[in-house]
Amino acid sequence: MIQLSDAILSLVLLSVLLSLSSNRLMGLVRIMAFQGILVSLVPLFLDQHQGIGAGSILFLQIMILIKGILIPGFMYIAVNKVKIRTEVEPFVGYHASLFTGLAFIVISAYITERLNISLPGGHALLLITAITTMASGLFLLMARRKAITQVIGYLMMENGIYLVGAALAKESHTQYVVEFGVLLDLLVGVMIMGIVLHNINSAFDDVDTALLGRLKD
Amino acid sequence: MLELVFLIPLFAGIMATFLPVKLGRIILVITALLHVQLTGMCWLKISAPMFDAYFRATPEGTLVLLVTSFIFLFISIYSVSYMRETEMENEHVFIGCMLFFLAAMSMVTLADHLIVLWIAIEATTLVSAPLIFVHRSKEALEATWKYVLICSVGIALALLGSFFITLSMDIGQVDVPLAFSALQAVAANLDPVWLKAGFVFVVIGYGTKMGLAPMHTWLPDAHSESPSPASALLSGALLNCAFLGVYKTHTLLYAAGLGTYSSNVLIVFGLVSMSVAAVFIMNQTDYKRMLAYSSIENMGIIAFGIAIGGLGTYGAMLHLIHHSLIKSSLFLSSGNILLGYGTKLIKNTGNMAKLLPKTFLAFFAGFAGISGFPPFGIFISELLIIIGAFRSGRFVSIGIFIFCLILIFAGAARLVMRMSFAQHDEDILVQEKMLRILPSYALLLTSAILCVWLPESLYQTIINAITAIGGGLNG
Repeated sequence: MIQLSDAILSLVLLSVLLSLSSNRLMGLVRIMAFQGILVSLVPLFLDQHQGIGAGSILFLQIMILIKGILIPGFMYIAVNKVKIRTEVEPFVGYHASLFTGLAFIVISAYITERLNISLPGGHALLLITAITTMASGLFLLMARRKAITQVIGYLMMENGIYLVGAALAKESHTQYVVEFGVLLDLLVGVMIMGIVLHNINSAFDDVDTALLGRLKD
Repeated sequence: MLELVFLIPLFAGIMATFLPVKLGRIILVITALLHVQLTGMCWLKISAPMFDAYFRATPEGTLVLLVTSFIFLFISIYSVSYMRETEMENEHVFIGCMLFFLAAMSMVTLADHLIVLWIAIEATTLVSAPLIFVHRSKEALEATWKYVLICSVGIALALLGSFFITLSMDIGQVDVPLAFSALQAVAANLDPVWLKAGFVFVVIGYGTKMGLAPMHTWLPDAHSESPSPASALLSGALLNCAFLGVYKTHTLLYAAGLGTYSSNVLIVFGLVSMSVAAVFIMNQTDYKRMLAYSSIENMGIIAFGIAIGGLGTYGAMLHLIHHSLIKSSLFLSSGNILLGYGTKLIKNTGNMAKLLPKTFLAFFAGFAGISGFPPFGIFISELLIIIGAFRSGRFVSIGIFIFCLILIFAGAARLVMRMSFAQHDEDILVQEKMLRILPSYALLLTSAILCVWLPESLYQTIINAITAIGGGLNG
């Protein structure tokens, strides 16, 4: 089943690259839903040999529900409701972003290569994907003008961190209560960001972060 | 059942959100009283945790819990009077979130599991965001947005750090529960490289929340835009909770024999925070921002004190207690000033000594306290940190430390003098009320009393908390 997990991870990488070159907000939200579902599926294909318990199946469903449906659904409503112009309005152009994304892949491959000395083996592609996703999330957070793309960048970073957790932590540490708590925090966080976003839009008539410059020293 | 400490505020918060505002105010004060009582039970070790895989009453945790509970009591009394004077659209949400905030912070103090600690700290961000947001002005929106986004991203890095610590367990073949108390015992077997990497990410993550420079940028905005009771809670209680996350990880590194490394990281962050605060406090135009930068400075002092070990660690713990008491008192006074003058700008205030004499007394005494004058406790804590640093031979650091203290005192003194004595002709909008004065006095008085007389149990708890990293009066 190694091949299947590799296929999923390649799709995650593809979604990262797509999101970097995407110029429509709606498209970006759809990509995030796709990525959320893929990331939730990763543990299932990693631990095939250990067998799957009832707890992990249930948790997998909750995770797909939250990462793949609830959070993107919430973003979808936010994009629709605030009636913003649908372009992403980047600080860094799409081609340059795409190129940065490719550079991230190369760099993470190099890092993974170097780290492998002290890593439990067999997770090379997983770690590459995780680091790329994290770095691209941070990049998206900084390189896009709209407040809503910052939320998407944050989500992508969170996905990357989850993959790091899946890559590094042994199965024995997995406690579903705890992981559920992390997911719940993420969900509530996105909801609060959505509410603030809505209010920013009605106060400023836009969600451009350049408008948020009143407070400084 | 130890978990009641955070479950009761949680349920009270849910109730207060849905009940009428007048009832909500009563619930707020009653819950605060109940929380003090539960904290007392935790302090006397009467209550044991039900889920002992996740929660435990550690000495450092109970210390922070005690401080939080104590200042929350006074802040809740103040809030009731404050809310009567200001027009809040969603007051029941404000009351509810104050209680949720208390619940989340109590959960932080009791959390023992690495990830549960993370969940609790992230929860404090989420439930305190509506507190900043409550006035719905453009500035408040901006502050809330920065707060939620910067802190969430920062704390996400702390999660990454926690995963690295997990990895260091796996590589070191350590098979214990993922809890600080369990890891403490086997720390020597953890893989040092990943433990160090984890520590850096945890310090960056929780340091963002604690207000360590250069990750502090959300702090002045959030503190200045939120209503004063919320600012007092943010500064007096929340920063301590984030500090607890850093402290626990530092303890872990010390136990693993990497104490020098983690100390150096903390010293750098501490001194950078103090320097940044010193630069920005100089030409501050807003008195709540001035207080916020002072919080950054004090968090830097605490990080520095913890890092130098020995006597300095004891000083840092004292500093934590007294900073919470004095700073929350100052923010409460600043609420009265805001009500009185209707502005946060220093240039539009003045002659406070005549116009708001009681608030002036509290504010000026608080300023003296935060600057390190006796009879307030920060005098002792800073002295101990300086002596501790001399003993450990860090002369360059101590030079920077003292220089920053002087700069900050000089910068803030000019502003406070201007507020207190400069000419001001307009009338005061809202007069002082006893309910809004007494909490500030009580907090200051507590600091003054603790300066000359430290109860035995408090002393013992501090010592228990710091022996794990080689701290103590004779160190």
